[in-house]
Amino acid sequence: MRIIYADNNATTQVAPEVYEAMIPYFTEYYFNPSSMYEPARQTGQALAEARQTIADCLGRVDPKEILFTGCATESNNTAIFGTARANPDRRHIITTQVEHPAVLEVCRELERSGYKVTYLPVDREGKLNSRDFIRALTPDTLLVSIMHANNETGVIFPIEKLSRITKQTDPEIIFHTDATQTAGKLPLDLTFGLPYVDMLSFSGHKLHAPKGIGVLYVRRGTRCRPYLLGGHQEDGRRAGTENVPYIIGIAKALELATRNREQDEAYVGRLRDRLENALCERIASVQVNGKGAPRLPNTLNISFHYIEGEGMLFQLSSYGICASSGSACTSGSLEPSHVLRAMKVPFTAVHGSVRFSLSRFNTEKDIDTIIEVFPGIVASLRKLSPYWDNERNAPRPDALDMSAHVDS
Amino acid sequence: MGWEYSDKTKQLFMDAVQGKPGTHLGEIENPDGIGEHGSIACGDAMRFTFRVKRHPSDPTQDIITEAKYLTFGCTSAIASSEALCAIIEQGNYTPLTALKIKNSDIVEYLNGLPEQKIHCSVMGAEALESAVFNWAQRRGVDLKKLGIDMHDQETEEGRIVCKCFSVTEPYLKRKIIELNLRTIPQITNAIKAGGGCSSCHHVPGGLQDILDQVWSGHAAGNTGPVQLPVLPAEPASPEFSPYQFAKKVERVIDEYIRPSLRGDGGDVEILDIKGTLIYCSLKGACSGCMGASQTLKMLVERALRDQVDERIRVIEV
Repeated sequence: MRIIYADNNATTQVAPEVYEAMIPYFTEYYFNPSSMYEPARQTGQALAEARQTIADCLGRVDPKEILFTGCATESNNTAIFGTARANPDRRHIITTQVEHPAVLEVCRELERSGYKVTYLPVDREGKLNSRDFIRALTPDTLLVSIMHANNETGVIFPIEKLSRITKQTDPEIIFHTDATQTAGKLPLDLTFGLPYVDMLSFSGHKLHAPKGIGVLYVRRGTRCRPYLLGGHQEDGRRAGTENVPYIIGIAKALELATRNREQDEAYVGRLRDRLENALCERIASVQVNGKGAPRLPNTLNISFHYIEGEGMLFQLSSYGICASSGSACTSGSLEPSHVLRAMKVPFTAVHGSVRFSLSRFNTEKDIDTIIEVFPGIVASLRKLSPYWDNERNAPRPDALDMSAHVDS
Repeated sequence: MGWEYSDKTKQLFMDAVQGKPGTHLGEIENPDGIGEHGSIACGDAMRFTFRVKRHPSDPTQDIITEAKYLTFGCTSAIASSEALCAIIEQGNYTPLTALKIKNSDIVEYLNGLPEQKIHCSVMGAEALESAVFNWAQRRGVDLKKLGIDMHDQETEEGRIVCKCFSVTEPYLKRKIIELNLRTIPQITNAIKAGGGCSSCHHVPGGLQDILDQVWSGHAAGNTGPVQLPVLPAEPASPEFSPYQFAKKVERVIDEYIRPSLRGDGGDVEILDIKGTLIYCSLKGACSGCMGASQTLKMLVERALRDQVDERIRVIEV
C-alpha cells in the first residue's frame, strides 16, 4: 500500500538531493573538522561553506551568527535559558499560550525559579492582540519568545511587527522566534524583512533534512550564555563536535527550499485548498481552525463535531494515510490540544480535530484519495456517537445538554 | 505514540465502525436499563442500554439478552464498548451478576490495553453499573437491601479534587481501592483524574494526599500553596501623573493631528501609553499608506514632543 504522508508538520522525508549531498561526509570526509591534518581541513571547509549557505538563505547575514545545534528544541532551550542567564538583572519573559512545549516548558521551568512569565492569549482565530502584547512589555522584560507560525494550526504571527514594537520600546529586550514551521516555507530575511529579530530557531527535519540537526541564529551583540559547555566549537557558544554530514544536509535542504519556495508554496497551497474545500463541502458540522487568520499554505487543521480524532486517524492509517489530531487520546496527556483550547474551539470539536500538513512531495492523487475515504470515516464514527442523529445527519437536539453532564 | 493495540482491539474497532453483523452499535428502544458515563468535554462518553428476559415473579432473576452502546471516544473506547456487550451477551448474566464484571474483565477480553488507555475499560464498567442501577429503579429492586453500595452520595456531596475531569474525593477513594491504584500515573490511566493541568497532584488534599490516606491512613500534609508573583506596576511617566499625561496626549492629537489626517480620510488611534512611549496605529485611508510610519514620526511624534514632552517616542503598531 502506498503511504500518503500528510503529517509534514511533525517531520518530513529527507529529499534525495539532501541525502546524496550528505553521503560523502559519512564515508570519505568523516574527519573532525577541528583536527589539524589536511583531510580534516577539507571537512572544515565544507562546514564553513554550509554555514555560509544558511547565512545567505537567512538574508545574507554574517555566518558567525549561525549556530548549529542538535534540534530546534535545543535551539529554543539555548535561546531562553541562555539569555536568562546572561541578563540576570531582568526576570520577566513574554511568550504565548500556543507555543510549542519546547518553549512553554522552558518558561515554566524558569517560573519555578522565580521568573515571571506572561503567556499571551489568542482569539478564536488564533491571532494575538497587539494591545495585550504592548501591555505585557515591562522594564523588567528580558525576552520575548513568540513562534513564527503555529505547528498545529499553521496560523502565522506578525513577527516583523512584534519584534519592531519590542525593540522600539526597549532595545535591551531580546526578541526570539521559533521558526521551526516556517523555515523554507516563508521568507526569513533577517537583514531587511526581520531586522528586529535577535534570535531564531529551526530544525532540519521539518524541511526535508534529517532529524538531529538544528540551527540557532544569534544576532551579533545579543547577550546569551552557552547551554552546552565543554568545547571551543561554534566560537565557544555551543560545545560538541560538529555533526558535519547533517550540517551539510540542513544547508542543502534550506538552499533547495529557498530556491523553490514560491513555486512550492503555490503548489502546496493549491492542494491544501482543494482538500479543505472538498471536506467542508462533503461533511456536515465541520470547522477549519484558524481559517480567519493568515495561515501556512501547507496546513489544514479541521474539526469534525461530536466525534473523536483518534478513531479517525486509526481508520485513515488503514488506507495508508498519515495525519495527526489534537484529540486527548493522541496527545500523550489526557488533555486535548492546548492550542485549540487557547483558541476556545468548542469542546464538541476539540477532540474531533485532524491536522493534515502537506509538502511538495504530495500529489494530486494523494488529495483525491483523502477526499474519497474521509467522508466515510466520519460517517462511520458519527454512527457510533451518542451525540449524533444519523437520520438528520446533524447533532442530536439534546447533544449539548448531554455533553454538559459530567458523570465521573 | 503509536497504536500499541492488540489485534483483538483493532478487530473489534474495525468491525464496529464497519457495522459487521454481531456488533453492538446502537441504542435499544425502550430498554430495561440505560446508563451513561463520561462527557464529551472529557474526551470520551458512552451510553449503554440493555434488554432483559423478565422473570415472571422475581426481577432479580431477569436475564440480560441484548446489550448495545453508543460511544464517543478513541479506538480503545469503542473496542471496550464492544467487548462489554459481547461479554454480557455471552454470559447469561442477570443484572446483579453483571455488576461483578469489572474493567479488568474487559481488558482481558481485549487481550490487554495500553496502560494509558485503561480508563476506556473503566468507562465500560461504570456505564454498565449505572445501567444496572437504572434497571433496578424500573423494576423496583431495592439494591441497598441486597447489600449493594450505590455510591449515591459521591457526585452530589463530594469535594471535587480533579477539576479538569470533575472527579470527587469519595469516588477517587473508592476507585483507588477497587482498582488497587498505588501511584498518581495509575490513577490517571484508570480514571483520568490528574491527567489535565496536574495542579491537583501534590497540593494539600490532592491526589498524593488521598493515596497516602487510603493506603497508610496518614493525615494530609500541610504545605502552603506557592504564591505566584504579581506583575510590577508600569513605570510612571514624568512631570505629570499618568492620567494627566494621557489626557494631554489625547488633547494634542485631537487638536493638531486628527484634523489634518481626517482631511486625507484617515485617523490615528492610541493603543497604549507606557511612560513616554506612545503606541499608535493609523486608521482609514492612512493605514495602507506607504508613508504611514513617516507620518507617525514626522507629524504625530513631532507635535507631541513640542506640545507635551520632548522625550516622547511614537511607536507604530
